[in-house]
Order: sequence, then structure tokens, then C-alpha cells
Amino acid sequence: MICRVAESCFWLARYVERVDTLARLLAVNNSFQLDVHMPQAEVWRPIVIVAGQEEDFLERIGAAAIDDGEAVQDYLTWDRSHPSSIHGCLRWARENARTIREVMSVEMWGAINDTWLWLTGRSARRLYQRERDAFYDHLSKQCMLFHGICYSTMLHEEPFVFMKLGRAVERVGQTARILDVKHHSLREEEREEEPADAAQWLATLRSCSGVDTFFQRGDNTLTGPAVAEFLLFDRTFPRAVLHNLDRARGLMARLVESDPPGLRRPSWQRLERLRGSLLQMDGGIVQDVGLHKVLTQVVDDTATLCEAIHADYLDPPVEDLLRDARIPHIVQRQSQSQASRKTA
Amino acid sequence: MARTRSATERALLFEGYEPLEGAFDEFVDAKGVPHPAVAAVVRRFDELGRAEFRRRKKLADTTFLRSGVTFSIYSGDTATERIFPFDLIPRVVSAREWERVRKGLEQRIRALNLFLADVYGDQRILKEGRIPRELVLGSKAYCKPVQGIRPPGGVYIHIAGVDLIRDASGAFVVLEDNVRTPSGVSYVLENRDMMKKLFPSVFRECPVAPVEMYPTKLREAMAAVAPQGGGERQRVLLTPGPYNSAYFEHSFLARRIGCELVQGGDLFVDGDRVYAKTTHGLRPVEVIYRRVDDGFLDPEVFRGDSLVGVPGLVRAYAAGNVALVNAIGNGVADDKGIYPYVPDMIDFYLGEKPILPQVPTYVCAREKDCAYVVDHLDELVVKAVNEAGGYGMLMGPTASRRERADFRERIRKDPRNYIAQPRVEFSGTPTWTRTGMQPRRVDLRPFVITGRHTWVLPGGLTRVALVKGSYVVNSSQGGGSKDTWVVGGAA
Repeated sequence: MICRVAESCFWLARYVERVDTLARLLAVNNSFQLDVHMPQAEVWRPIVIVAGQEEDFLERIGAAAIDDGEAVQDYLTWDRSHPSSIHGCLRWARENARTIREVMSVEMWGAINDTWLWLTGRSARRLYQRERDAFYDHLSKQCMLFHGICYSTMLHEEPFVFMKLGRAVERVGQTARILDVKHHSLREEEREEEPADAAQWLATLRSCSGVDTFFQRGDNTLTGPAVAEFLLFDRTFPRAVLHNLDRARGLMARLVESDPPGLRRPSWQRLERLRGSLLQMDGGIVQDVGLHKVLTQVVDDTATLCEAIHADYLDPPVEDLLRDARIPHIVQRQSQSQASRKTA
Repeated sequence: MARTRSATERALLFEGYEPLEGAFDEFVDAKGVPHPAVAAVVRRFDELGRAEFRRRKKLADTTFLRSGVTFSIYSGDTATERIFPFDLIPRVVSAREWERVRKGLEQRIRALNLFLADVYGDQRILKEGRIPRELVLGSKAYCKPVQGIRPPGGVYIHIAGVDLIRDASGAFVVLEDNVRTPSGVSYVLENRDMMKKLFPSVFRECPVAPVEMYPTKLREAMAAVAPQGGGERQRVLLTPGPYNSAYFEHSFLARRIGCELVQGGDLFVDGDRVYAKTTHGLRPVEVIYRRVDDGFLDPEVFRGDSLVGVPGLVRAYAAGNVALVNAIGNGVADDKGIYPYVPDMIDFYLGEKPILPQVPTYVCAREKDCAYVVDHLDELVVKAVNEAGGYGMLMGPTASRRERADFRERIRKDPRNYIAQPRVEFSGTPTWTRTGMQPRRVDLRPFVITGRHTWVLPGGLTRVALVKGSYVVNSSQGGGSKDTWVVGGAA
């Protein structure tokens, strides 16, 4: 398929996944703060940090507002000036979808366009003001509906593979970030586990829709290390890091199958390295190394993996394409730069 | 006069319809009696009643918006997506009338295609003085870089959209040819889908000519001109990108034709061959249905600042390695300044009389015509030859004194750039408005496809001037569309 189209498939799925994650994170945090007595700064600031927007928030909204739940929710839901809000992610999801209608089913477009028209219409605002939970819940469900519709209506060919791959790598990064929220809410000094911690770990699980699944693993008790181990290493939990790396591997294996024989794909090697490093790890090692450090590594390696996927499939330099086609003609000119939809 | 609400709701749709004065009416004759081909259709719609009709109208609008059948309007850096207003009352043409239109269009496109082959070949028609040489070679649309290049199969005009109007006598008259990148066909197909969903019973009882084979015909035409006879994987549709106002149409057609939709950056020329950048390497491309204007196609030859084009494309085209649908340089055939000479072309190349008449035209490049135009601006419609979409126009009879003076000055300064025509009182047809059924003016853009053979889509895009009394049907200026029904079976 055309590289640019693959790129849009990849990003479409990533943006939809981001809407889902943000909606769930904000909803959970909203209810979490009700009965837990923590300084407000520990509740909302970490959400802004893991969204990668701390700097922008402080600069445009101001330091005073970062502990204010309403301000943070407003910023991460409606703000139009950055692509990391729900509004921004959904907008870019729809823009990508609009660009590749030719590979999408009518139903997929209908699902994403309906959600967009809803979000930008009056009834979404009303719901947001009156019933915050229902608002986020609706968004989350729409995202799941979209993935389900993809699965049921589109050809399970390459566009589908790139969408699933986008979702898998997005989940790797998002789960790692959510798990890292708690790190950002800890004060500098070491301290003992408090009752608030259990509530916080529960919130972490809930943000990943993983409460019931966590307890289905019979030997689990609600402690930091157990939650971290579950969200990192579980092989069958849909939002666990390793599970998604397994999926990504299966999907990339399908891509490599269609490659001309003998072609070397750096993205494949990146994935194998990242997955290999997690396979060699366990809860004990995580505790020794420090959870934050492990997670930072996962997030960084995922970013590198995505860059490699871009260079291999989504926006390969013309020179590479020519070399791979074994055309003995060296081209001086760079390929035209792509539109801004690549904002990570 | 006191009628109950429910009586109004049940009221017939066409009750109280008054045709325009001085113009042909598409539905009723001078005595108010429906034309024979139309009568059955009117009856079916009348039976629905107003309330039911309104309900279906609302359904149509929300469906179009939800499915993204929209075009974009830009102001500053914000884009608004609008649906192209759609009127549910179909425009009906009898099969007998259509047959004549079809033959006339085939003849016209054949002549225009021969004209292009001649202009970019031997220039016989110029040598024999049938059309002034400087008019053709001096046209902004004449494209020197493709002089001497013969496109695959000798086809220049694979897709044409010819704008027709009906004059006061009801005869179809050619207003304008579009043989560069005519648009609008997606609305024809979408409108028809919608009408079939909304009014299935009407279709069951009226024999309406189908339009669904358009994508197949286009695909066949593209296959017919593939230089190496490559399959569908070697065919693409080139769009300027998602910010183009017609992007929906590009995407829609790519889906229906079953070819890939690409942007300039997706293509790449090496060794005078065109390739698409795919996830598994370079794939050769043989046929490009391009919706990018000539000037932006290849920054090596045309505008160097074009980001939507493909550097080297013209080289590949000249080498005969790629077919462009439509060919480069076609604008010289639909230039408004060349239009008056189309009957001469039909005579020169085919030895035939034009089947479809056209609007008498004053060419300001001719001194005598220019003098007449300048003196009669209040009776004429003046058009700049290089403008489209209803821009650069003066509606003499309704313009202000100042606007006329302004145009008089412009014509004197650059006569080659203007033509003028008497205002044609083109036909009106019933259209649903807030105040019930009212006559609104319509034109018709049939689509003509040429590959191995020439084929005319039965019907075409009917554009309607929704503003009361207006003559402007362009979507950018308050126009809407209707489904066009060729009714009555093969004559």
C-alpha cells in the first residue's frame, strides 16, 4: 500500500487510542479524588505530566491552575491549541480518517465522524457539565466501538495491520505512562506505603480497565509491585506492555512476509530488542532498578521503535526505496516533506 | 383562506406552482400542464404530501453530513465543511430529448479531441486559417511544453463535463466545455443513491436511466490508455490533497474506480518512469487520473513552487511511459475565447453540422465585436476567458452603472481576455423552498468518457440557482444540485 496511507492508518488508530486512554484517565481521576485525601497537586499534576503537556500547561494556563481538577480536565478535554487534548486527538483521528476514506469501510467513517460531530455539538458540552462520568464513558465506548467496527467491516489486509500496529505501540506507551503517574505524585523523600497508595494503585488499574482482570490472577494483592508486574508483563491482558509487544511482533511479522526477500528492517530489530529486554525482566529486577527508570526506558524505546517504523514503512527516504529496488541511479533530491499530522 | 394545519400538511407539493416568466419551464407547458415525460413523476411526488416530503428532506441532509458528502469553504485558516445543498425534486429529461443531447455531445467531444491533437501536432487548422493562430497559441491555456507529444491512444479528453442550458424555446444549448479536470460526478452518483433510498416507490414506477456504470466506464477508459497495458495496480488517482475543496470527490471516485488515491509526494519519477512509494518498495504507475491542474503537475516544467506535483512527470509523459487523464494542455480547447470556434472545428474535422447549438458569442479580440460589446454592456453577460466558477463575470442587465464602467475599462485594456454573450433566459424547474414549490433556474453538466469508445452518462449533474431570480448555479455562490432523471426508456 501507499506509504502515506499506511501512515494515516497507523496514526488514526493511535489517536483513537489516545482519546480512549485520556477519557478513562480523566474519569478515573475524577472519581478517585472524591474519598482520598491527598494534596490536590498529587492528583492532577501527574496527569498533565504523563500527557507530556506540563510545559505548555504552565506557560499558557499558569502554575496556579495545575492543581485545579476543573482546569486540568478542561485543558485535556477541550483545549484546541495542542493535539494532546481529547478534542485535538479526535480531530486528528478524523482528519487522518478523512484522508484515507478509500481504505476504510463506510461504517468506520460513520463511527468516527459521528463521535466528532457529537463532541463538537451542544449535547456533548451539556453532558460534560452535568454528568462528567457519562461524558468520558461515552467517549471511551465510542473508541472501542470504532475498533470493533474496524475488526468487523474492513479487509484484514495491510491497512488493518497498520491500524492494529498503531494501537499496539500506542498502548505500550500509554500503559507505561499511566503506571508512571504515581511516580510523579510522590514527594521527593522516601516514604511508607499509606492507605492512599492502595487507592492510587486501584486507580491505576482502573485507568487501564484492569481491576477485575488483576484480581482474576489469584495470587495478586493490591501493592505497587504486583500492579506494576501485571501491567508490564502479563501476556494476555489487553493493555499490558508485553502483551502489546507480542501483538506488535505478530503484526510486523506479517509485514515482513510481504517484503522483497533479503530486505533488512531496522524496525523489526528494534522491536525484538525491546521485547527481549522485557522478557528477561521480572518483578524483582524492576524493584532493583526502580520502576520509573524501567518505564522511562520502555517509553523511550517505544519512541525509537516508532521512528524506525516510520523510516521503514510510513515515510521511507526515496534513497532507501531506490536502493531496495536495486535501481542503480542515485537520486539527489529528498522526498517531499509530509504534512504535520505526525506530531507525536 | 383559513386552512387547518393538517390540511396544509397534506397539501399537494406542486399546488400553486408558477413557472418563471419568459423562460422555458422543465415541468409544465405554457398552459400549466405537465410535460408528458414528467407527469408520472409529478404525480408520485404529489402523493407524498408536504409533511412526508419534509421529513425525507431532513433525512437526506443529515445523511449527507454524517457520511461526509461535503465540500470545504476556506476563510482565513479555518475550513468549514458544508453539504452541497441538494434539492429532492428531480430534474426530468425525456429519453427522446436525451438521445439528441447524447449524439451532440459525442460529436462535440470528438471534434475537440481532434482539435487538441491538431494544435499539439501539425496545426492544420491554424495553417488553413480557420481559427486565428494568435488566439490559440496566445491562450494562457496553450501549453508549449507538450507541443509534439502524442498521448497514449491519441486520447486527450478522457473525461469531459459539458455545461448545457435550455433556452426559452426549450432547446439544449452548450454554454461551456470543461475538458481539464471537470468535477461534480460524485454528486451525481451520491444524489442517485440518496434518491433511491428516499423514494424507492417512484423508481419502481418510473423507468429512470441508471448512472451506476460511470465508475466502470471510467475504469475501462483508464485501462484502454495504459501504455504497457498494466492492470489496476498500475493506475492511480492524483489529488492535490485533503485540503482541496473537492477532496471528497477524489476519495469517492478512487473507491468506486478501485484505484489508489495518491498525492504528489506519493509518486516519484526515476529514469522517466513513474513509481508509487509503497510499504514494500516502489511500484510502477502507468495511468494517472489527475485532479491536479496543469500548472501544478510538475515543478520541473510548470510552477516551481508546486508542492502537490511530481517532479519529472512531464518527462515520463513525453517518453510515453505514463498516461495522464486528462492530457496536459487541454485548456486550450475549453478556453472561453476558443468556444465560439467549436462549430468551425466540427465542420473542419468531421464535415458535419453541430447537433447541439451554442450561445452566440462576441469575441472581444475581434475589433468589431469589441466595439459592440462596449456599447451594449447592459444587455450582455461578459466573461473573463480564464476564470471559472462564476468569477470574473459581469451580468450586464443587473449590474450597477459603476460595475459596467469598470468592466468597460477592463475590456478596453485587455480585449483578448473577454467574451460576451446575450443573457440566455435559461430554464426553470420546480424546487422545494421555504415557501413551497418555486421555479429555480438550472443548468446541466453531462459527463462524457472516452477510452476506446466515447460514452455519455445518461443525465448528469443538474445545478440549481437556489436564490430567487438568480442565474448563478455555482456551489460557491449559492447553488445546489438535483438528481437528473432521463425517463422513458431508449427512444
